Amino acid sequence: MEVVAVKNSLKVYRAMHDLTQEQLADKIGVSRQTVIAIESNKYLPSLGLAFKIAQLFEVRVEDIFTEAVEKNEN
Amino acid sequence: MNQKRYNQLRVAVTLFVGMIVALAVINNSYLLSFVAVITGMIFMALVRSRVQIKTDERESVVQEKAARLTYAIFAPTLGIGAFLMLVPSGSGLSVFSKGEFLYLESLGMVFAYLTLFLITIYAISYYFLNRKYGGGGSEE
Repeated sequence: MEVVAVKNSLKVYRAMHDLTQEQLADKIGVSRQTVIAIESNKYLPSLGLAFKIAQLFEVRVEDIFTEAVEKNEN
Repeated sequence: MNQKRYNQLRVAVTLFVGMIVALAVINNSYLLSFVAVITGMIFMALVRSRVQIKTDERESVVQEKAARLTYAIFAPTLGIGAFLMLVPSGSGLSVFSKGEFLYLESLGMVFAYLTLFLITIYAISYYFLNRKYGGGGSEE
């Protein structure tokens, strides 16, 4: 069975804009823990937050968040 | 005042109120414990009104999952507990129906009502939240 997971390159964009996790968190109105969770793919942000992040970096949502198809053996 | 300072203050006030309540209960002064709790609540409400509390969506998701897990564990535990205490005592076959365990029947009744109360609150909140988020609407 195929499972569609979402990966992101938030860490890359954050480094490109020379922002710390704390600064990014303040700019998008979430806690630093949320930024850490998104970067490590432990938490999938809401559509609203994904758009907010994309607008901040002036890119499209799909430039940051990409789908990654994983094969599940079960 | 930022969120971090607010959280520190909340812990301090909670500890202080808890300490006052414990002392008041030891000294049989229930009025003091009541006043301490009310004062603590008013103080925190005033502080909260001066702080910009950041609502974090990950925290909301965590709270939702924790609430669901709590319900999933607590409701069956309470229900099974009520069943185990009431059914044997009702049939008269259990030690619960007489002697020193008689209070367990009353406890079973309390558990049963609590289970019903919990399920009712869940059902009502589910109904209204379902409607709020688009469920049960007519097709257009």
